[in-house]
Amino acid sequence: MMENTVQLLERPAGATPWKTRSQNFRIWIAAASILPAALSYLVYLNAGLSGAAILLIVFLPLQLLGAAIAAAFTRGRRGVADSQLSVLVLFATSFVAIMLGSIVFSIISWGLKAVSPHFIYQNNVYVTPTTSLEYGGAGHALIGSLLVVGLATLIAVPLGLAVAVYLTETKGRFKGPVRFLAQSMSGLPSIVAGLFVYALFIATGTANLSGWLGSLALSLLMLPTVVRMSEEVLKLVPGDLRSAALALGAPQRRTFFQVVMPTAKAGLITAVLLGIARVVGETAPLLLTTRLMSETSINPFYGDLATLPTFIFSNLTAGFDTGRARAWAAAFLLLAVVGLIFGATRALTTQKVK
Amino acid sequence: MNTRQVAKGDRAFFAVSTAAAFITMFLVFGVLIFLSIKSWSTFSAQGTAFVTGSTWDNTTEGGTFQIWPMLVGTVLVSILGLIIAVPASIAVAFFIEYVAPPKVSRIATSLIDLLAALPSVVIGIWGIFVLSPVAATWSQSLSGTLSFIPFFRNEFSNAEGAPFIAAWTIAVMIIPIITSVSREVMGRVDKDLISAATALGSTNFSNMRRIVIPTAKSGILGGILLGLGRALGETVAIFFVLNLVFEVNFFHILEPKGGNVASLIIAKFGEATPEELNALMAAGVVLFILTLVVNMIATSIVQRSEKRMAS
Repeated sequence: MMENTVQLLERPAGATPWKTRSQNFRIWIAAASILPAALSYLVYLNAGLSGAAILLIVFLPLQLLGAAIAAAFTRGRRGVADSQLSVLVLFATSFVAIMLGSIVFSIISWGLKAVSPHFIYQNNVYVTPTTSLEYGGAGHALIGSLLVVGLATLIAVPLGLAVAVYLTETKGRFKGPVRFLAQSMSGLPSIVAGLFVYALFIATGTANLSGWLGSLALSLLMLPTVVRMSEEVLKLVPGDLRSAALALGAPQRRTFFQVVMPTAKAGLITAVLLGIARVVGETAPLLLTTRLMSETSINPFYGDLATLPTFIFSNLTAGFDTGRARAWAAAFLLLAVVGLIFGATRALTTQKVK
Repeated sequence: MNTRQVAKGDRAFFAVSTAAAFITMFLVFGVLIFLSIKSWSTFSAQGTAFVTGSTWDNTTEGGTFQIWPMLVGTVLVSILGLIIAVPASIAVAFFIEYVAPPKVSRIATSLIDLLAALPSVVIGIWGIFVLSPVAATWSQSLSGTLSFIPFFRNEFSNAEGAPFIAAWTIAVMIIPIITSVSREVMGRVDKDLISAATALGSTNFSNMRRIVIPTAKSGILGGILLGLGRALGETVAIFFVLNLVFEVNFFHILEPKGGNVASLIIAKFGEATPEELNALMAAGVVLFILTLVVNMIATSIVQRSEKRMAS
């Protein structure tokens, strides 16, 4: 009963005095937002300056000035600094939004022009960079990417998870240095990972260019992400659960596998997916450790193997319009893969919150 | 169950995790040491001139391999990229945490996280076809109006392939990284403190200046250094938009003369002679040391600020 009564009561209109805006204030704000834009547009029509220049040297100063005047009249001296901050933050944010939006937009619009069902499942045999887009596709590269990244995941995830276990479940003495070095490794330039694998296997003559070397290089890049994310997830599992399991007589390993890991399942999968997203588009290490070919191969352990990033790279460097179109289409596929991974992590994390 | 059996199983469990931890610890040094051994012939043959000289020649006996212009170019492009990216990222992070309505900031957060994972080859293709022509017009209007400042001088007829354009590409790559770290750190600032200050009459600006920035300072710095580490090691995106020239270019940012260690490796790798290959590995070692130092500083700053925020 009590709860119902409380819900029926409405918040009085004057309960949030800081939200009321006087008529005067509204007029000032409207004028300060419209006038600078209108003036800049007039300048743009009459002076022969480019749009970017107008935005930077006409619109931004005018908008800052307008906001300052409006703030000075409505809120006094202290409002001025606040208004400048608002204008600058909004300006910078919209600029970043335009830049990043432009990337996504151009990949989708250029990609959709060249992508077609057969582009997704056909390979590139008998196709040169100048062949028309009706023939050939990146199916072989998609399969190759899945193989290389899948193998990298198989290497990096168990290792990374074991390191996270060391950091959260044990009383190891080297936790600090391990955490520090694993973190520092996240800045390992991808090209250096590729060079390392090249020097270790190919330069010494132990192996030839092939998919699994690419996987090794990628797993080096994936490891830090997996370690950090799964450590954070494992830390979130309440210590009481562990103590309870141990008190019931469970050994540490079974506590981990049967209590801690199932509790943190969604988070651990997210950690793996973020690791995959980190490396799925890595190009430089694959350029050093694999060789692109136009046929489909499902053997990452021997011979040439196509992957999406190297496919994009070679089509771009070939320098023909059809090659460029193929590169955009493959970039679209790559973006779709990254988007799918992120959709999956988002779904998992929101599920966890429920 | 027998206690000895339990102990045995647990010992194996701990042994595996400890082994994994040690493997990870030694991987960093392993990469460094192994690449250094492989490229030792270059370091001993070229001496310190490998880092300080400006010639790259594989036609002579033994070859002359020096990477000074590339190193200068790497640092120049990264710093320019930071100059663009840092204010933008802090503004976006502040917008997401303190200005935008909750719905907008939730969407913006996931978008930024998605964009942080955007592959560099995708940024590269955008950089070469979409950004370069546009940024070239910016560059031309800069060199047209401000050419009396040495920074903005351009004596070449074209503007594409300049460090200026590479810097924009790099900025776009690292803005999501710096934003996502700064946003997280700013989000951890005590909300009650801000409410209290607002109740006392503080504005957005004074909140930012007196509370958010001082508290989140070291975390943001760590994020910036992480971005710098990524910028220094970036390969493919820069390879497409930068013109590599073996001539030191300290500050003529609009001229199409750039250098980049990572892109050099990709550019020369395909047709390298055996000595050149060793030299490229040596270049990789120099690059790795550079990024490792930056990342170690970044990591220690971030870890320290995390510890302080937690307590």
